[in-house]
Amino acid sequence: MNKIKAFSTRNRKEILRDPLSYIFCLAFPLVMLIIMSVLNASIPKQANMTVFRIDNLSSGIAVFGQTFVMLFTSLTVSKDRSGSFLVRMYATPMKSSDFTIGYITPMIIISFFQNVIIYIASFIISIITDVDLNIGGMILSLIILMPSAIMFICFGLLFGTLFNEKSAPGLCSIIISLSGFLGCIFFDADSTGGAMLKVCKSLPFYYCTKSARACVKLDFSAGAFIIPIVIVIASAAVLGCLSSFVFKSKMKADLS
Amino acid sequence: MNAIETKNLTKKYKNKTAVDSINLTVGEGELFSLLGVNGAGKTTTIRMLSGLSTPTDGEAFINGKSCKTKIDEIKNIIGISPQDTAVADNLTVRENLDFMASIYYADKETINEKIEKITSIFNLSEVEDQKAKTLSGGWKRKLSIAMALISEPKVLFLDEPTLGLDVLARRELWRAIEALKGKMTIILTTHYMEEAEHLSDRIAIMISGKIKACGTVADLEELSGKKGLEEAFVAIAERGMSENE
Repeated sequence: MNKIKAFSTRNRKEILRDPLSYIFCLAFPLVMLIIMSVLNASIPKQANMTVFRIDNLSSGIAVFGQTFVMLFTSLTVSKDRSGSFLVRMYATPMKSSDFTIGYITPMIIISFFQNVIIYIASFIISIITDVDLNIGGMILSLIILMPSAIMFICFGLLFGTLFNEKSAPGLCSIIISLSGFLGCIFFDADSTGGAMLKVCKSLPFYYCTKSARACVKLDFSAGAFIIPIVIVIASAAVLGCLSSFVFKSKMKADLS
Repeated sequence: MNAIETKNLTKKYKNKTAVDSINLTVGEGELFSLLGVNGAGKTTTIRMLSGLSTPTDGEAFINGKSCKTKIDEIKNIIGISPQDTAVADNLTVRENLDFMASIYYADKETINEKIEKITSIFNLSEVEDQKAKTLSGGWKRKLSIAMALISEPKVLFLDEPTLGLDVLARRELWRAIEALKGKMTIILTTHYMEEAEHLSDRIAIMISGKIKACGTVADLEELSGKKGLEEAFVAIAERGMSENE
């Protein structure tokens, strides 16, 4: 347990002391939150487009922010792998599960506080724009967002394990773009329908946003919340197992 | 009991034999150097002895424990300072030491005690609050070795510890390594003759994965019929390479 705690602390400090992590994980999502809120104010009510209204946007941006935590997870893992740092650590009594838990845990904590800040900013915007935002729903949503955080972090762990520090961020940027569009953060696929909605529904990102949005609105119906959250939890579990297995296999290959 | 013993230790990568059936014994408290040119198999040997690479053939024992079957136990009694300085860049010197100590010890008091001890041995107090990425090459290397020593290992592996350092930083690091002599078994790889001569109790000369000669500087001089380690090394290496051809 002390090994995992020590490794988690190191990873947390490494990320929190990198100024770029604040720009990407915090400043950028907050800027997007403000820009989209300004954009929402310009959309005529007759258009009936609510995707950028703060009660929908807040949880979407929270999910969007999690994709940048994925980016920094992949960077940390790939950097450790490309240098001698992991070689040193492999010679200690740490096991592969200690490494994977040690990488994932601090990222979950970072993601949680990132979402807290995004929700505080959203609440302020909701007061300015005079839109009702349920505080209880937001607090509950912070917990509901954890499976999607784990899913994105495991994506980061997977890419960081499989690719070097030049390729891994590139692959993460694909996931960031996919989650932005196909996760329905920046457009309303439910209103669009057709093939686009089918594509969105075939990927887990859509369900991350849908379950968090439903939770903020305290809508716990099967279609809006239960089915989406089950899909997100299942995706997180699959990616968690896959990334741990890949890390263990790579570690074994490194030590062969 | 020998601290290290290898029996026909071999490592092959596809068509290349990196380490070719080496037999070594290193006594407890000895500082043993593996001397050789680049690609001689020094790092691969250290990797196998520290559990970072699985031998293709043969066996290695650390303190009587097999590297094949007891590697988890071995990892508790060894320390390694890899060729590149493996430190956490955004952590301070003290935090790096704290991090490594926390891998081995749970008690905060013990951890602080170990940090104080190692900080004093390596004179790290003046840079202890500095982030590792801001340190000079010499200080980074000292930190890397200090991190390997924080668990008070019985066997310490130093892979080219002074590579790329200027002469003053190298001499300072030599003094630090000399201070450890006798307290633990140290395996050092280097291609600097003066380093091996200055620090080692015994030296093994590796050429193309094989140990061509092993002994004290005097033994090697006698074997080669040359005066000085550099001359002895060149003679043994040339003879070894012509034998391989």
